[in-house]
Amino acid sequence: MPVWHETVKEWVSQGKLQIIGVIQEQHPERCELFRQWQAFDWPILHDPINVLNTTAVPIFVAIDQHGIVRSVRPDSGRFAEDFINRDFSDDASNNSKPLTPPRQVNDRPDTDARTQGDVLALWHSPEKIDAAISAYRQALQTSPDDDRSHFRLGVCLMRRFESQKRRVGDFGAAIASWETALAGNPNQYTWRRRIQQYGPRLDKPYPFYDWVDQAQHDIRARGDTPIELPQPPLGAEIAAPTDRFATAKDNAVNPDPAGKIFRDTERLVQISVTTVPSQPKPGSTVAVHIHFVPNPVTRTFWNNESEPLRLWINQSDDVTLNQHFIKGVNRPSAETDEVRRLEFEVRIPEEATLPIRINGYALYYVCEDVRGVCQFLRQDISFSLGK
Amino acid sequence: MHHPALFVRHVLLAACLSVVTAGGFASAQGSDYRPVVGEYHPEITLPSIADGEPVSLSDYRGKKVLLIHFASW
Repeated sequence: MPVWHETVKEWVSQGKLQIIGVIQEQHPERCELFRQWQAFDWPILHDPINVLNTTAVPIFVAIDQHGIVRSVRPDSGRFAEDFINRDFSDDASNNSKPLTPPRQVNDRPDTDARTQGDVLALWHSPEKIDAAISAYRQALQTSPDDDRSHFRLGVCLMRRFESQKRRVGDFGAAIASWETALAGNPNQYTWRRRIQQYGPRLDKPYPFYDWVDQAQHDIRARGDTPIELPQPPLGAEIAAPTDRFATAKDNAVNPDPAGKIFRDTERLVQISVTTVPSQPKPGSTVAVHIHFVPNPVTRTFWNNESEPLRLWINQSDDVTLNQHFIKGVNRPSAETDEVRRLEFEVRIPEEATLPIRINGYALYYVCEDVRGVCQFLRQDISFSLGK
Repeated sequence: MHHPALFVRHVLLAACLSVVTAGGFASAQGSDYRPVVGEYHPEITLPSIADGEPVSLSDYRGKKVLLIHFASW
């Protein structure tokens, strides 16, 4: 795509061509950082719910001054001859319907639930993200096999999880919705890529967001301030693909083998476990995402002046782990209350019988504002691979 | 930031779109994105990644456009 940007730069500067981008990703800030890094100076439209129903990218469409499509796969070597320097007449008659929904539906009784969800998700979120989720769920009650509602519900659940309105199970529910959508339409690569961003390295076609560090470095080097990312990519989102499962080294030491550290009985930190895929089969590799959400009721926050969050996963004869002792990273300021995510991968042998139980625990230093107490606590974690 | 004249066009367009019924939204019928050579490209209005403001393909009528659907990865 940057190749096209370079190819047409001169025509754009001469006013002979306008570029318009449409980007399919979940996070607008990451798209904006990419635009800033690449110095794209043309408008980029955001379609996080895939309302256009594009099944793969990139797609290049040459549209003349009358709004008529002249090519859907223009040849960059012949672009001047075939498009820029050519005269086109207004010779089309088909006046098609818009591909995108209106910005308001005004509770019209003839508006279907999925369209209501689209309007709320595109134009009124995050403030109306709960209403968008309700609309898609209503659409799925009427049409349980509507793949697009499943995908868009997943987008909204992920967006809610990344907002202050989060519910602890939203991340896992988003992955499950995307998987259901893709199962209904396995040719939808836009949806497949959304899942693969969180999936195991063996299933990834590329690292996805490994460019972010380089982009931030390059932007700073030219004296600018990079766009801030409220959701910096981490773990699976930046991990390089691989064709071989790397097993854990055995030199990690169990930090609490006798289980003496006090348990977090008040659930000062809420933990959720999500596997990708959510229903793995024998012989597959699974990415395990463990989210740690400081409890808003107790106003819990991380004590960043102590050791960071740690996760221990017990060795098992039934599966192979790529790591079984994982350390998080503290933020620079003394106290923060962000959601933290630790990840590891599991290889399930071909001959395994599912479900397989995985056990471990997390250790963390947290404080809570209600009584003003800071504690070092352990929370046991147990989940199943497969049902 | 958009040019003020463009902003007025956005507002007018949004007002027009707000009275479009669900039946006027092609995506509700559910075909995949397949622009057809020789036909008008259907209207698209989506939020800008820069500021969330609506941007429409028709804002650029009168210019030759290269519409690029892409991803950052």
